[in-house]
Amino acid sequence: MSKLNNLFKEAKKNKKKIFIGFVTSGDPNYKSSKEIIKEMTKSCQIIEAGISFNTSTSDSPIIMEANDRAINSGMNMNKTFKLIREVKRETKTNTCFVIMTYLNPVKIFGLKKFINQCNFVGIDGVIIVDSNLNSPEEKILINGLSKKKIGYIKIISPTNDDEFIKLSIKNCRDSWLYITSYFGLTGSKNVNIDNVKKMVKRVRNYSKEIPVAVGFGVKTPSQVKQVSKYADGVICGSSIVNKVAEGHKKRLKGKKLATFVSSYVKKLSRGIKK
Amino acid sequence: MKIPPFKEINPPTKDGFWINKKTKERFGGQYISPLLVPNLKRVEKGFFKAIKDKKFMRELNEELLSFIGVNTPVHFSPELTKLAGGEKKIGKIYLKRTDLHTNHSHKPVSAYSCCKLAKYLGFKKILTETGAFQNGRAVASACAALGLDLDIYVGANDAKKLAINKDISALHGANIIEVHDSTKSLLPAMAAALRAFQSEPDSMYVVGSVAGPHPYPLMVRTFGSVIGRITKKQFKNLVGKDPSTIFSVCGGGSNMLCISYPYLKTKNTKIYAVESAGKGLKTGKHGATIGGGGKIGILLGMQSKVLLDGENIAESFTEASGLDFSSIGTEVAFLQSVGRIKFLTATDLEAKKTFMMMARKVGLICAIEACYVIHAAIKEIRKIGKPKQNHLIHLCGAGEPNVAQMMEHMKKNK
Ligand SMILES: Cc1ncc(COP(=O)(O)O)c(C=O)c1O
Repeated sequence: MSKLNNLFKEAKKNKKKIFIGFVTSGDPNYKSSKEIIKEMTKSCQIIEAGISFNTSTSDSPIIMEANDRAINSGMNMNKTFKLIREVKRETKTNTCFVIMTYLNPVKIFGLKKFINQCNFVGIDGVIIVDSNLNSPEEKILINGLSKKKIGYIKIISPTNDDEFIKLSIKNCRDSWLYITSYFGLTGSKNVNIDNVKKMVKRVRNYSKEIPVAVGFGVKTPSQVKQVSKYADGVICGSSIVNKVAEGHKKRLKGKKLATFVSSYVKKLSRGIKK
Repeated sequence: MKIPPFKEINPPTKDGFWINKKTKERFGGQYISPLLVPNLKRVEKGFFKAIKDKKFMRELNEELLSFIGVNTPVHFSPELTKLAGGEKKIGKIYLKRTDLHTNHSHKPVSAYSCCKLAKYLGFKKILTETGAFQNGRAVASACAALGLDLDIYVGANDAKKLAINKDISALHGANIIEVHDSTKSLLPAMAAALRAFQSEPDSMYVVGSVAGPHPYPLMVRTFGSVIGRITKKQFKNLVGKDPSTIFSVCGGGSNMLCISYPYLKTKNTKIYAVESAGKGLKTGKHGATIGGGGKIGILLGMQSKVLLDGENIAESFTEASGLDFSSIGTEVAFLQSVGRIKFLTATDLEAKKTFMMMARKVGLICAIEACYVIHAAIKEIRKIGKPKQNHLIHLCGAGEPNVAQMMEHMKKNK
């Protein structure tokens, strides 16, 4: 069983919910980003680290600006692996790490090498936004990652049909199903609770077990609380990245920037129903 | 002339891939967020339904003939023939005058067809991107004619350069959105249009070239091949046989594929595509995906050849906004990889000199994009150097939008 599987299973047993924080790795630069992620391990059970791609087609302007900051500071796939490895070593944290990126960086890095590096560093799950259910790359990734007990996470949205949802559940291995609460880009709107309820219900028609986590537009502790009533996990992304941008504009660096961001993340995480 | 019917002679797989069986390279696909899956399905299903719908196709063809004026001439060019060395040395050079379409380029053919499809499918609004604003203008005119709303995404730098077509698009009622991401050119504009497509389920995206996720590349070349179908018949009527060569410029590759498509299985016709070498391939400042050594990458919903910068997409550079693109269309990349299309380049300076030559010696103001192909074609035709050849150059656009840019060039070089 994968570490993500375990995490969700234990949480369910204890009637607890999982808080997931997203941040762009290397934003605004390697050093500060490492401090931010180290601090975030204290309040996130899962950290999603975004690996930037300069021609991303599904990111909101907030994330795109973070991508630019990270790329301009020299960030890439290799350095993200290094960063997460260092964070894990220095904090000895229990927090799970998930990588979120696009297929081009993975393909250029090399699919096999990517799978091996994930295994070596101890990445627990992978989300590839523009990987398609019937592309050959997806098959290689799913098979390769699940052999190493690394989760593969699929995103579904309110406009996807049941056929697509069924296939996503099937391809979502050792992890959770990522539900977007509305049709649109990350962080561009506020979470739509009605959609969350409907989507969770639709998923439950096909699988009683698969954990579901909801993201897109969850920006406040009370929204976190609301969403956690219906989902197994809650994902906050754009609002955290926005906090990084805010601190960066105030010229905060390193540990100071990390404290600035993580105190906000901590507040968000307290929205989880205890 | 009636528009000859479409025949599928290079079909992709059902997932939208063209596969090079030898190298196993794949071109195409649907590399998009799950959010876009339903929209693309709707467009794909609708497209296949529409091209089988006799009434839809009859109406479309009538409107392409009357409103767009697709029956533009193919004619002998004595000036270019002479310039290349004369009939005795190189045979004859002909021009296909796509610049004479309503809205002055090849873009209106696929733009009008796709907008008509959108209407057929019940969409109320169109989203598109543009580089040289030729596509923007073409879609704006189509949307006005068909009663559709329109958002045009354009790189902020391009918006500054090509004022006339931008103004014309606005006069047609288009809403113009400037994109300030990364290079502020065609690539980020297309990414922005695709993002909008993910946020507006009731709008249909229309692409400006044979690029993007399946079914877009297939759709644009199928609709756009009207140009090639007419050309093939015209050329046969005029010359008595198929051309020995066809030369077209290649940004994304739409004008090239639209004219060349009916010749893909015509063995005696060699097909050439010309990319912009910008300031020169060696300077690294160019827009030549193939000439500059592009590799397989995944961007804007497709797998194709791409100029890469590490794990990211590299910036392209050329003074021709329509060619300022770090990738090429998926079927084009496939045809190149199997050796069906040969690629050449011309620099910005060579194109500008050719623009002046065409203005002074031939009497035509050509789109700057078309000047890359004219330059490279003449050079290649000289190299071929055989009599009794019949060469065809695709004059894919008129040069009004480039007047300001070229006046500056003229003043500098007085
Ligand atoms: C006149 C003209 N030719 C060529 C192009 C390049 O596009 P494509 O290669 O898709 O025909 C453009 C693009 O805007 C254009 O305006």
